[in-house]
Amino acid sequence: MFETLDSFNSNSSPMTCLVVDDSAFMRFHLKRLIRSFKNITASEATNGDEAITEYQRLHPDFVLMDIIMPGIQGVETVKKIREFDPSARVIMVSSVAYKEMVEEAFDAGAKYFIPKPVTTEALRKAIECVLGAAA
Amino acid sequence: MRLEFVKAFVNSTTEILGDLLGSEVAVRSMAMQANPSADREVITIIGLMGEVQGDVIIDLDQETAEQLGGFLTGEVAHGMTPLMKSSIAEMASMAIGRAISQINDNGTRLTMTPPNIFTESHLRHHDKQFETLVAPITTAYGEVRISVAIQDLN
Repeated sequence: MFETLDSFNSNSSPMTCLVVDDSAFMRFHLKRLIRSFKNITASEATNGDEAITEYQRLHPDFVLMDIIMPGIQGVETVKKIREFDPSARVIMVSSVAYKEMVEEAFDAGAKYFIPKPVTTEALRKAIECVLGAAA
Repeated sequence: MRLEFVKAFVNSTTEILGDLLGSEVAVRSMAMQANPSADREVITIIGLMGEVQGDVIIDLDQETAEQLGGFLTGEVAHGMTPLMKSSIAEMASMAIGRAISQINDNGTRLTMTPPNIFTESHLRHHDKQFETLVAPITTAYGEVRISVAIQDLN
């Protein structure tokens, strides 16, 4: 168990993150926030199908997942990733965050939910929560 | 037209612009039009489905779009690059998503499509001919105009 993201990172090998969002700007923004943390590298996927393929290839430490995307949506993608890896740590990141949708995301296996717009502190707290809970 | 929904879209857009830009934004006025229309260079359309149907259109001139996009990306804008367009579309998506969340939490089922962004298209006529509320929102980077064209299916 670790206290903060910085203390975890200073004693560990690099963590990996998969950013899944159909928006080029959101992938850019989330990767920019991730870069502000020490020792985390981020890969990206632009839709649900690509996310499943990349997850199976990379086995990232955690995933940042959008919900509303063309084609397979975020919640369904989480279910498929969790079928492949029941211990997958997924943080949902969505502009739509009504109660029913948040519950649906948690039922699918998501560990945390951040409404957009995403701040550095909200992301830090989410990462510490999902990694700490699994440590 | 359900005015409480229209108010939710205008308020959420104002809030998101304020949150993202960190400066004061204000709704100057609101006006009803017979049909949706948008005549500025950068237009984002988000479709609404569920107990209400229609579109929310956010349009702005290119200079405002470039300045907003430049602020959001932290990069100097050289025209409406794919990243600049994406930042404007995402800003609209966040604004409408927040309103959709409030409306659903208040008991009306409503979903949204991903945003579609058009540049230099000067969309003057729209396929959905619904009564539209138009609200110009003043920001430090120029005016962002939101048009809410919805029809209650109940």
